[in-house]
Amino acid sequence: MRKTHPVWTGILLLVIGGTIGYGIGLGLDLLVSHSLNFNGSVAAAFALFLAVTSFFFGVYGYRGITRGLVFQVIGTLVGALFVTGIRALVGSTTIFGPFLFSEPAWVFGALAGDVSFVFGVGVVSDWVKWVRGLDTPEHHEDEPGWEKYFSVSLDHKVIGIQYTMTALVLIAVGGTFAMIFRTELAQSQLQFLTTTFKLFNQTGPQFYNTLMSLHGIIMIVSILLGVSGIMNYVVPLLVGAHDMAFPRLNAFAFWVAVPASVLLLMALVLGGFDTGWTGYPPLSARAPVGMQMFFLGVFTAGWSSILGSANVIATVLRMRAKGMSAMRLPIFVWASIATSIIALTATQLIGLSFQLVMFQRLLGMPFFDAAKGGNPVLFQHLFWFYSHPAVYVFVLPGLGVISELLPVFVRKPLFGYRWVAMSSLGIALVGFTVWAHHMFASGMNEYLRVPFMYSTLLVAVPTGVKFFSWVATLWGGKIETPTPMLFVLGAIVVFLLGGLTGPPNAAIALDLHLTDTYFIVGHFHDTIFGGFVFPFFAAIYYWFPKATGRRMSEFWGKLHFWLMTPSFLVLTFGMMRVGLLGMRRRIVDYDPALGFDTAHLIMTIAGYLIFISVLIFFINFFYSMTHGEKAEGNIWNSRSPEWQVPSPMPVHNYEVPFVVVGEPYDYGLADSKYVEFSTNGSKHVEFPTAPEVEKHH
Amino acid sequence: MVHTQDKKSMLGQGVVIFVYLAFLTGLEFLVAISFDSVPLLVVVALVKAALVAYYYMHVYKLNLESEEVESYDYKSGTNRLGLWLFLVSDSFVFAGLMAMRINLLGLTRPELNQFLGLGVTAVLLISSFFMNRGETLLHNGDRQGFLWNTAVTFVLGLGFLLGVVLIEWPTASAEGLTPSSGVAGAAFYMMTGMHAFHVFTGLILLVIVWLNGRRGLYDAKNYPVEAAAVYWHFVDVVWIFFYPALYLIGTAVK
Repeated sequence: MRKTHPVWTGILLLVIGGTIGYGIGLGLDLLVSHSLNFNGSVAAAFALFLAVTSFFFGVYGYRGITRGLVFQVIGTLVGALFVTGIRALVGSTTIFGPFLFSEPAWVFGALAGDVSFVFGVGVVSDWVKWVRGLDTPEHHEDEPGWEKYFSVSLDHKVIGIQYTMTALVLIAVGGTFAMIFRTELAQSQLQFLTTTFKLFNQTGPQFYNTLMSLHGIIMIVSILLGVSGIMNYVVPLLVGAHDMAFPRLNAFAFWVAVPASVLLLMALVLGGFDTGWTGYPPLSARAPVGMQMFFLGVFTAGWSSILGSANVIATVLRMRAKGMSAMRLPIFVWASIATSIIALTATQLIGLSFQLVMFQRLLGMPFFDAAKGGNPVLFQHLFWFYSHPAVYVFVLPGLGVISELLPVFVRKPLFGYRWVAMSSLGIALVGFTVWAHHMFASGMNEYLRVPFMYSTLLVAVPTGVKFFSWVATLWGGKIETPTPMLFVLGAIVVFLLGGLTGPPNAAIALDLHLTDTYFIVGHFHDTIFGGFVFPFFAAIYYWFPKATGRRMSEFWGKLHFWLMTPSFLVLTFGMMRVGLLGMRRRIVDYDPALGFDTAHLIMTIAGYLIFISVLIFFINFFYSMTHGEKAEGNIWNSRSPEWQVPSPMPVHNYEVPFVVVGEPYDYGLADSKYVEFSTNGSKHVEFPTAPEVEKHH
Repeated sequence: MVHTQDKKSMLGQGVVIFVYLAFLTGLEFLVAISFDSVPLLVVVALVKAALVAYYYMHVYKLNLESEEVESYDYKSGTNRLGLWLFLVSDSFVFAGLMAMRINLLGLTRPELNQFLGLGVTAVLLISSFFMNRGETLLHNGDRQGFLWNTAVTFVLGLGFLLGVVLIEWPTASAEGLTPSSGVAGAAFYMMTGMHAFHVFTGLILLVIVWLNGRRGLYDAKNYPVEAAAVYWHFVDVVWIFFYPALYLIGTAVK
């Protein structure tokens, strides 16, 4: 037993490591630039590296993630020094750059750090053994307790929780960034992010731009990891698999997301970038080095998404329980398949578009340089070919969660199962054909606008199918409202608002007015909160007992909901209002004569209330892990197989495999069964479910 | 089932398909230098890709059924699916590069030595033939044959890589086509560079299966060899499209 809690050791070392790193960075910067930059980038970069690494060292010791981070730091430095050395040898005039190393050195270093991380953390060690012709056991034994979450595990449930926790950390970071710039926006004129403000080689407005851009991308990466988290944890349980199809690839997909997150934070300190998360050239072709860190971070996180998706598809196609035919798959699994198809394929295009800008910056290849025959609009095509379908990657699993949970709490069959299952695929496929609706005002060929308008409007059809199904499922049901159900209902309402504000943007005539206004920001937040954030919280409240054997507090959960939902609605309605009146998005300041001060103040207060509500969620989450009410049985009275076995889920999932014998969502129908466990001679315990007396017709 | 087929006919099939591919490559070249018909070049490329995908990459194996869920065959089936999913994903990178090339260059192409292009293309195509031969021989239980053919594949693959990076690139840049000279150069170096990177990773896989194959690791469980071969052919398929896109279609510009 330790005397102090490891987290306190971690925080202590975080401070010490951060200070030492700050000192080292300051000294190196002094050597190269001959001036002391107390709030400069180099000191901050070293402080960030050493602080994060020391924190995990204090919590966990030198293994797992700590080893990975140490390798990343060393790899980055070695890579950067390597390039710097070569530049010195060939007699280049710019051996060092404004941030200690030159830009090519930082890029190569960051890439080397990425690769070093996966070797350091040990996620490729089995593959290295295979290359050497050695065999490895199917599964490693995990350490008991919390410690297994900090190093490589091949268990999909552990990886699912690792994903979810990383997503929550990033939500906290991205949310904090939003709070900072929302505070600046509370009043017109510049209050604290002024032109005299100086941090990480950025002035106040530049820092605002960096925070705004990073808020976008960090939240997006967080959503991708959250989606992977739920899919990883739930999909094998729902289909009756003992694990994912490729457990090592699964672990790899998670672990590359960690150095990716570090790279995104590096973007903050290395001069930042002011393009927004879209990174359009020509601006992104001349932003500071932070831009390159952003590109590399997104590129690395993209691989996580691609490899994770391949795994989900293979798992569902190859590892289903007996009797689980296509039309008996849970809706969430259908949604996961649809989302994985997009993530598997389209993600490559954002990676490619960012690579092209990277090469334009590094080697002067003029892909997007109009002066040399390049085409900046081409970037937008490549970028949006992923980034529009990406929003379906975010929302489809969330919509799947809604359809999955709704019948449980309404005690009624899901209305129109087949249509709902197919609508996910429909959204995914139509989603591939709509990307240029982001570019109506970009100067692309005008004849392209109309087909993209109609294809965009077409998305409303499969989405509408889902809404009709939800409403018809709710109709006449015995609605119970524990916390997960509250979030499901909230999701439906908020996503409806997001959905209804979509077609105006798709209509060309209106979009030319709405482009780049706060209306878009409001619409986007509505879709993502309704399609991902609310369902994500619902999923956490719902499956938390499955993972921990305890449930989260209902009181604090409900408080979280009732604080967050109205605040969120106020926030997005406010955004849409000022947007319609002409407020530009992504700007640090607005004219007081526009009269938006009151609206922005209200939005900022609403933002803070959301922040507090999520804080309540975090406290509830961590407290309930160890102190929550015990919940080992089928507490939601679900028909789904994972709730028919005790919580927390056994290590190898189902000791006795189950057979699917009926429809998944026939709640409230007497004598209907979904799964059957062959119980002869096993230790398996089935929890009695409450008798369902009422028959629906 | 593959096992019931005559062993010699499998080897013969590889030869026949190679003759078809070689013929189509020659045809493609003649079409390009004589009357430059883009639709015809597209059709030829599609036919070549389909031949490689079916006969060399045996995409139909995705449909193989195996009864025992815990068996090696079943697991290989899952791995095969995973590999193809990866290839589908990867082909989006190359499709994106192709879209980039079409957008930036249209019906023009970088000014390159067309015979040099035909030469490296032939080297890569021949390497695919030997890869297929090696894999088939291993299936037939001939480890030595597998090792020889894989070694030849490796040498040809390395020849292609060096041909592009050490001959083609310096030649082009000596004639003024550099990465920063214009969009033609940018497209050329980006596309060949990305392809060369994939050839490089394919070569690493070949070394791995050669070394482990020499120790008899794949005599019974030979899926890794199949995977390396499928990947190698995939890289060839990419070149089947990139070659006409860079060397044959349209008029040459600097």
